[in-house]
Amino acid sequence: MHNKDCTCWNCPAIDLVGKVDFRACGQSVEDFRKRMGLEEDSFQLIAECKRRRELGLFDPMSVTFKECPEWEKTQYGYLLKDMRVMILGIDGYLGWALALWLGSQGCQVSGVDNYSRRDWVKERGAHTVIPISRMSERLHTAKEVLNIDINYREIDILNERDRLKEFIDEVKPEVIVHYGECPSAPYSMIDADHAIFVQKNNVLGTLGVLFSMKELVPETSLIKLGTMGEYGTPLTGRPLFEGMFPADAVLQWDNREWSLGGELTPRDPVSFYHASKVQDTINIYEACKYWWLRSYDVMQGVIYGVHTEQVSADPRLRTRLDIDEWFGTVINRFVAQAIIGIPLTLHGSGEQIRGLIALEDAMQCMTRLIASPPEPGQYAVVNQMSGYYSLRELAKTVAKIGKEEFNLPVKIQRVENPRVESERHPFEPIYENLTKKFGFKPSVTLEEEIYRMFKLFIQPDIKSRIEEKKHHIIPKTWWSGEKRKVETIEILK
Amino acid sequence: MRLTDDNFEKEVIKSPIPVFIDFWASWCLPSQMMMPVIEKLHKEYDGKVKIGKLNVDQNPRTREKFGIKGCPTFILFEDGKELVRKVGAHSEIQLRRIIDTIL
Repeated sequence: MHNKDCTCWNCPAIDLVGKVDFRACGQSVEDFRKRMGLEEDSFQLIAECKRRRELGLFDPMSVTFKECPEWEKTQYGYLLKDMRVMILGIDGYLGWALALWLGSQGCQVSGVDNYSRRDWVKERGAHTVIPISRMSERLHTAKEVLNIDINYREIDILNERDRLKEFIDEVKPEVIVHYGECPSAPYSMIDADHAIFVQKNNVLGTLGVLFSMKELVPETSLIKLGTMGEYGTPLTGRPLFEGMFPADAVLQWDNREWSLGGELTPRDPVSFYHASKVQDTINIYEACKYWWLRSYDVMQGVIYGVHTEQVSADPRLRTRLDIDEWFGTVINRFVAQAIIGIPLTLHGSGEQIRGLIALEDAMQCMTRLIASPPEPGQYAVVNQMSGYYSLRELAKTVAKIGKEEFNLPVKIQRVENPRVESERHPFEPIYENLTKKFGFKPSVTLEEEIYRMFKLFIQPDIKSRIEEKKHHIIPKTWWSGEKRKVETIEILK
Repeated sequence: MRLTDDNFEKEVIKSPIPVFIDFWASWCLPSQMMMPVIEKLHKEYDGKVKIGKLNVDQNPRTREKFGIKGCPTFILFEDGKELVRKVGAHSEIQLRRIIDTIL
């Protein structure tokens, strides 16, 4: 078990009681001492368990998760019994899947949403090709089919901060998973209004969450979704480290050298949306530094797929899936195109390389991160992906499965690239933390998940929903500001 | 090896061999990134120099005693006395140079 040696030091159910000056290396030690009237000897760590007050005060490093009866062994590591997890953005593609996944692991799930993803997609004239139920029916079905209770509240985290605080105070979550942002690069590039909206919604919404956590639940871990797109694809070819440089990355200049260890790596976002994620990264990093919040910032690769055991348990439990130019991601879009006979679209050369992860594997990663909370003040980054491929390779894989397994005559086309990005670039992502520190093992191959997607999309109701909105698949949003459909460059043989 | 307020006297001050300590904190990114290097050095210098790490939040008495003001701080001890102190991130090569001064 990857987290068996973690102690109460990591546990969100622990109050580190008084006499603790975390700012050990700060300038305030003397002030703190004077203010608290403390003698030198009174600088000792004492913890109190919020779940078992009867234990009294004890040394937080003296009990490991393995030894603590509140932490139970699961296939994803020791997990805090009835752990209270709050999901921001619970109605979305990932939020809903994670709610059911964690509920089935025994977590007490609460969640917040304001249905903005539904609204954004509707605003563009598109729809989720997998029909999804209203929230009231989702909650009812989760109870009926999976016996999962979800404590849900409709809240806009940016504009209703008081209501969010009220809910956090009521639930006292031990983990907050933050999916509550607008996740689209093209949406942020439509025009000034959309760019401003996305940055405001994401950056300021998250900043408010950080302040609320500081005030109400500073010991709770924040698991925040970032994106591999924050790094961009640097043409120097240097590895995309997990958020920060390792100790042995050395800067040489003027015949001198420095270790860059622990410095945040440069970011090179590829849209105003990605830029909002970079600003989030900085804000979370600062909040951990100033206030001793604890956070895992998850740089997620492009996500794809439709399956988890829970969302597949009943059609009413399915999570949404978008294929339009704004919210559709690459494999999801390819499979939809293959189903209705549109040649799969590669933007530009199609040689762009992206890290990817299947829905089911992303859920596993999140569970492992939840099970192993960061230490007080710790800001850490994981690159969440299970492999990387060029878009051309992905299109070929989808085409092959479509042809061989479903007898579909799939073609691939190259179209103009509406984005400003490198179309041929080195790419060396480092993605070791999740496997080495958190025990992540991918459970599904690219081919298996694509096969599952074909199986689902080929059903008449879903196929007709794809057909209905096919005019929204080919991009019309140019990074230049131009508004016109991209032209086909060639149909590949 | 993990050093604490409780074992510091025995493992460092009374150690028969030199001790090289990484004073670190979980909130300090350079500290986090030093860990794999410290573990590697721990194995390599086994028997010659004791390589340890001490969490400054969890062990406030030692932190105060040595006036640690920044992370990571590296201190090389010999016969219980401080010989060299360096603050900030260091590469593996730079750390080796510090440790090797005593061998």
